[in-house]
Amino acid sequence: MILQNIKMALISIRSAKMRSFLTMLGIIIGVFAVLVMIGIGDGVKSQVSSQVSSLGSNLLTVTSGQIGGSGTTAKNGQQQKGGGGFNFASSVGTSTLTSQDVKTIEQTKNVTATAPFNIVSSNVAYQDLSTSSPFISGTTANYSDIRQLKLENGAFFTTKDNDNNAKVAVLGADTKQNLFADGDALGKEIVIRGQKFTVVGVIKKSDTGAGFGASSDDIVYIPINTANQVTNSNQIFRILVQVNDPKNISSTQNAIKDALKTNHAGQEDFSVLTQEDLLSTFNTILDLLTAFVVAIASISLLVGGIGIMNIMLVTVSERTREIGIRKAIGATSGNILSQFLIEAVILSVIGGLLGLALSYVAGLVVKKFAGITPVFSLKALVLALGVSLFVGVVFGVAPAIKAARKRPIQALKAL
Amino acid sequence: MKKTNQKKSHNVIYMKSLSKRYDDEAGVLDALKGINLEIKDGDFIAIMGPSGSGKSTLMNIIGLLDRPTAGVFLLDDVDIATLSEKELARLRRDKIGFVFQSFNLLPRLNVFQNVELPMVYARKSKSERKLKVAEVLEKVGLADKAKNRSNRMSGGQIQRVAIARALTNNPSLILADEPTGNLDTKTGEEIMDLLKSLNQQGVTIVLVTHNPEVGKYANKIVWVKDGLLTKKKVPV
Repeated sequence: MILQNIKMALISIRSAKMRSFLTMLGIIIGVFAVLVMIGIGDGVKSQVSSQVSSLGSNLLTVTSGQIGGSGTTAKNGQQQKGGGGFNFASSVGTSTLTSQDVKTIEQTKNVTATAPFNIVSSNVAYQDLSTSSPFISGTTANYSDIRQLKLENGAFFTTKDNDNNAKVAVLGADTKQNLFADGDALGKEIVIRGQKFTVVGVIKKSDTGAGFGASSDDIVYIPINTANQVTNSNQIFRILVQVNDPKNISSTQNAIKDALKTNHAGQEDFSVLTQEDLLSTFNTILDLLTAFVVAIASISLLVGGIGIMNIMLVTVSERTREIGIRKAIGATSGNILSQFLIEAVILSVIGGLLGLALSYVAGLVVKKFAGITPVFSLKALVLALGVSLFVGVVFGVAPAIKAARKRPIQALKAL
Repeated sequence: MKKTNQKKSHNVIYMKSLSKRYDDEAGVLDALKGINLEIKDGDFIAIMGPSGSGKSTLMNIIGLLDRPTAGVFLLDDVDIATLSEKELARLRRDKIGFVFQSFNLLPRLNVFQNVELPMVYARKSKSERKLKVAEVLEKVGLADKAKNRSNRMSGGQIQRVAIARALTNNPSLILADEPTGNLDTKTGEEIMDLLKSLNQQGVTIVLVTHNPEVGKYANKIVWVKDGLLTKKKVPV
């Protein structure tokens, strides 16, 4: 019987192709939107995780504020990975990290190098060109080694430059391109916060594609002491820590934590994060964002469902006579109910499958033009089928009940 | 297919003091006021009467599309008063074959699909349906038209398909409501000849009509007037 109903549904869907397609359109768009959003979200996640892991698994990042553990567990010092207690304000507000902390970390066992860095907000100007887009960071010479920066021209500034408050700068590939186009930047003077800086190096364009955070090519590095002098402050935004061996990462993480706690009067107002921790923090934020966008996209699924209900109600009215005939020749109300319900479900599921196909095509387009590779998993297929099935049932039930309730005598009189 | 004489005594339809009252916003209407009717297996009976006589109401009740308000109605010895809607639908499927004035085929289905439909609802197997459809199409002279669409066929052919559909579940009776009403005289005669020959093969036929020319084909005529049956001819 169900097989027969599916056959019947396909016959009636085929007999009104245009209408069927328009009815499905809502579901097609809905499933498409949801899948593309999830696909892009997952794609960005996997891209970022490969970027972060390319930084090296022997890196620790010390940052101000509590990240990854809930604030109330700070006293016992236990961090819960992936816990929801991310205090955004404390991680971007005035830093609690000091140069004393940097020294403390340098003396910790297994630490091979440290690189504190801060952020200078300013435009960067060369002659009459000015740009506000670069990320200006004050750091030490070690930074280049830890991040394994490769230079196109010149060299990274030295520890001596930092000690002397030298006004020198190293440009990212994009910043260089923006200010100097294809011309030579080395030895030229750029202006930051009204001070002249000599360009001593240009970094090679990174190959990790569109940037998220640290791997951006629109960046200017200056010595941290010079930065402090220029900004008249003594801020440390993050401290990058290189550990001698990935095996020691966890023990070193704890050692640094304990050592810094002493500096901070027992308060754990900082976080020592592995690349994995950073990733999970990022993923938490991205998941939230994806969920939000998907929720919005889901509204189109709802609208699609209402569209199906609308057309099915019209169909039931139009086919009143058919219902009368079927009942006269022996269909029970249950037979009629399942016929129309299955028709709605099939409309919806075909729409879902078309949406799935369309989102796959869109994935290829996004990959080509936006540099993000959306990830489509079995999850997406199950989701598309499941959701469209669900929508079909939910919005198909009311019209099917209406059909089943028709009295055969009246229904046979219908034109 | 020929029924034996001893089965001839069996009542397919038995009605006693059957009445039907419509009571709605439009007012109260006594459509049937006490019908007594027996239709025996193998009968070919015509129910005739002018419009408004209660003829259609009687037909709907015989066809299990409507329920009587009072009185007894046994269909093949089953008292329909005690049956649920679902049981009525099943009984309709198994015992009654409808032939309508306006044919009432499903336009989106081909001849085969239309004819097999009552068997689909009866959950008969595919092979059984195939066999039976071929058999009844042969019987109505359309064996070669199984794949045709009804919109490419003449009225007479369409009505033959409808008769074939009515036969598929081996019903106790065929209920034909003005089967020639939408056909020209010659085609109408062919359809009546077909019904007549089916009756001669043992099929019980209840014909509802206001056309005396059509009524003549029946072995027996009952007249409906003002909600009552009468043996006397009523002008239509």
